[in-house]
Amino acid sequence: MRRRALALAAGTALLALTACGGSGGDTASSGAEFDLSDWASVEAAAEGQTVNWYMFGGSDPINAYVNGWVKDALAEKGVTLNQVRVDDTAEVVNRVLGEKQAGRDTGTVDMIWINGENFKTGKQADLWYCGWADDLPNAEFVDFDDPAVTSDFGEPVEGCEASWSRAQSVVVYDSAKLQPADVASLDALESWAKANPGRFTYPAPPDFTGSMVVRTFLYDVAGGPDDILGEFEQAEYDELAPQLWERLNALEPSLWRGGETYPQGGPEVQDLYGKGEVDAFLSYGAGDLAQQVADGVYPATTRTAVFEEGTIGNISFVTIPDNAPNKAAALVLANILQSPEGQYQKQVVTGAYPGIDLAAVPADVKAQFDAIEVPETDLPFEQQVRNSQPELVAEWVTALEEGWKANVLQR
Amino acid sequence: MTATPTGLAPLAAGGRRLRDRRPPAALRPWLLLAPALLVVVVLFLGGFAFGVAQSFGYLPFLQSEALSLDAYRELFRDPAVRASFGLTFRIALLSTAVSAVLAVVVGLLIRGTRRGRRLATLLFQLNLPVPHVVGATAMLLLLGQSGLVSRLSTAVGLTEGTADFPALTGDAFGWGIIAEYVWKETPFIGVVVLAALTTGIAPYEEVARTLGATAWQRFRHVTLPLLTPAVVSTSVIVFAFSFGSYEVPYLLGRPFPSTLPVVAYESYRSTDLTQRAPAMAIAVVIALLIGLLVLVYMRLSERFLRAAR
Repeated sequence: MRRRALALAAGTALLALTACGGSGGDTASSGAEFDLSDWASVEAAAEGQTVNWYMFGGSDPINAYVNGWVKDALAEKGVTLNQVRVDDTAEVVNRVLGEKQAGRDTGTVDMIWINGENFKTGKQADLWYCGWADDLPNAEFVDFDDPAVTSDFGEPVEGCEASWSRAQSVVVYDSAKLQPADVASLDALESWAKANPGRFTYPAPPDFTGSMVVRTFLYDVAGGPDDILGEFEQAEYDELAPQLWERLNALEPSLWRGGETYPQGGPEVQDLYGKGEVDAFLSYGAGDLAQQVADGVYPATTRTAVFEEGTIGNISFVTIPDNAPNKAAALVLANILQSPEGQYQKQVVTGAYPGIDLAAVPADVKAQFDAIEVPETDLPFEQQVRNSQPELVAEWVTALEEGWKANVLQR
Repeated sequence: MTATPTGLAPLAAGGRRLRDRRPPAALRPWLLLAPALLVVVVLFLGGFAFGVAQSFGYLPFLQSEALSLDAYRELFRDPAVRASFGLTFRIALLSTAVSAVLAVVVGLLIRGTRRGRRLATLLFQLNLPVPHVVGATAMLLLLGQSGLVSRLSTAVGLTEGTADFPALTGDAFGWGIIAEYVWKETPFIGVVVLAALTTGIAPYEEVARTLGATAWQRFRHVTLPLLTPAVVSTSVIVFAFSFGSYEVPYLLGRPFPSTLPVVAYESYRSTDLTQRAPAMAIAVVIALLIGLLVLVYMRLSERFLRAAR
C-alpha cells in the first residue's frame, strides 16, 4: 500500500515538474548570434555548426542529392550536414512538439522537409521559426506572386518555410499493358482498371500519395478544383463526399486483391509495380523511373502520363523549428537549396522540379535547365504542369482522409 | 538520523569515525538501487503519467487543460479500435502458444541429439540477434504474394501466378505477423528451455527412470512440470511484447483492421493535434490490458504449477 502511494506521489510530482517546464519556456535564440538583414553575419555564425536536417528518407535519388551536392556546397561554407531520414514527417513534428512540451528551448532538429498538413500542425502549436524565408539572398529567384509559394495547402507561409521543390503528380504505367488512351484521363484509367481487375491500386490515406489519389477523384467528381479551393466548407464536403465514396467503392472490387485491403504507403505500391502485381499507379513525381528501369526493377516499357484535365501539383518547403540549435546553419542550408545551381543539380539527380521561378534565374543556368535530357520514361516538365491543379486547404485534406477511412476502408 | 553504529558494529568500532557517517543499513540497498529505480520511475512511470494526463485532455500546447473522459468514450466508438481488439489478442495468443510449444519440442529434440548438439543449438538460435524489422521484411519476401514461396508454388504448378497465391501478408487473419513472431520468439523461449534442460532436470529424470517411469510418465510428471516455470515466465514476456509491438504488424498487416499499437501510433502521428488525446487513451488501454493479462497469466500459471506438483 505504501509503495503504491509512493509511486503515485512520484508520478504526480513528475507531472507537476513537466507541466511547469512546459509553460515556463520562452524562445531564446540559440547558437551564435546573427542578424537576418546582414547575411554575412548569418554565414559567420553558421561556420563550424552541424545542421540536422530531418527529412523523408524513402527516396534514393533525393538521398543521393542531399548527401552529394548539398553536403559539398555546405562544407564550402564550413557547415556539416547531418541528414536524418524518417519514414513520416509527422514523426519529426511530434519530436519538436515533445521538446516544446518538455520546455526545451534548445532542441535537436534544425531543419525539416515538410508538407502542408504537417506545417499546419506545427503552426497550430507555434513550433516554427518565422519571418526568415524572404531574407535569404536566393529568395530573389522565388516567385512570391505564385499562390503555391505563399500558401502551403492553404496555410499562409508567412516566412516560416522556404520553397524547395515542385512536385507534379503523374500516372506511371507499363505501356505493354496500357495504351496511352487508357491514361488520357482519370475516367479512362478507371475504366481500364475495371476491365482489368486486380491490376491497379492506391495506398491507404493518410499516406501522402494515397491522400492525393483521393483528392484527384474528388476534383473529377466536383468537375475541377475551382469550386472547392479556399476555405473549407462543410456544406460542400457534405454534397461531394457521398458521391466520391460511392465512386471509390464502385472501383474497389477491381483493385489489387479485389480491394479487400490497400497498400500502406507509396513505396509499397511502387514495390507492387516492380514485382508485376499492378500495372499502373499514381505518384507525386517519380524522378527515378529511368534509374529503376536501368536497374531492372521496373519494366523497360514503363512510361509517364498526366491526365487531359490535369493532375495535382504542389511545392514542398523546408522549415526551421523555433528551438533549432543551429539556426544560422539551417538558414545557410535553406539558401543553398534555393540557389539556381542547387535547383539544377536537384533536377538532374532526382528529377524533381524547381521550387524557384525559372524565369528569374540567370540565362546560363536557364540554358542548363533547358538542356536537361528527359528520359523516355518521363514527360518534359512543361507537359506535366500544363494543367497543374492546386492543392486544397489542409482542413479538406484531413476531412477527406478521415472520411475515406470511415466510408471506404472500414465500410 | 543519528550516527550510531547500525547493524555493522564491528566495522564502526575503534577510532574509524568515518565509517559511522555511512547511511544506515536499512537505507543502503535503496540508495544502491536508486539509479535503476530512477530510470524506471522517470522514464516509465513518468512517461505513463504524462500519457494518462494527455489522454484526459491535458494538452497545454493547444491551450486545453480541462480534463475529461471524452477520449475514452470516443475510443470505444471508433471502428478502427473496436476491430483491432480481436486481431491483437488472436495474434498475441497464437504467437505465444505456438512459440512455447515449438520451443519445448525443439529443445527436447536437441537434447536428444547424440552428435552435433552444438551445431543444432547454434542453428536453432541463429536468428536471436536479428531485429524484428528485418524478420518482418524477410517474411514479406518469403510469404508475400510475389514472394519466394509463391514463386516456387507457381513453378511446381500449385498456383497460377501471384494473384492465385493465398494472401499471407496484409491478410485479415494475421498469418504473416504470427509467422514472424513464432520465427523470432521460438528460439527466445528455447534459450530458457535448453538452459533448464541441461542443468537441473536430468537427475530427476534419472531417478524417475530407476523407479520405472515410462518415457511419457517422465515427460508428463517430471520434465514438463520442471520446465513450466521457465516457459511460463518467458511466455509472459513474449505475450506482452507481441501484444504491444508496432513494427511487425505495421509491415506485415493491413491498414484495417490493424492491431492496437498500430492504431495508437497512426492516431498519434495524425497531423490533427486534437487527435492526441484519443491516441494516448489507446496507449493507456494497451498498457492496462498488458498489465492485467500478465497478472491473470501469473495467477493461472501458479495454479498450474501447484496442480502439477
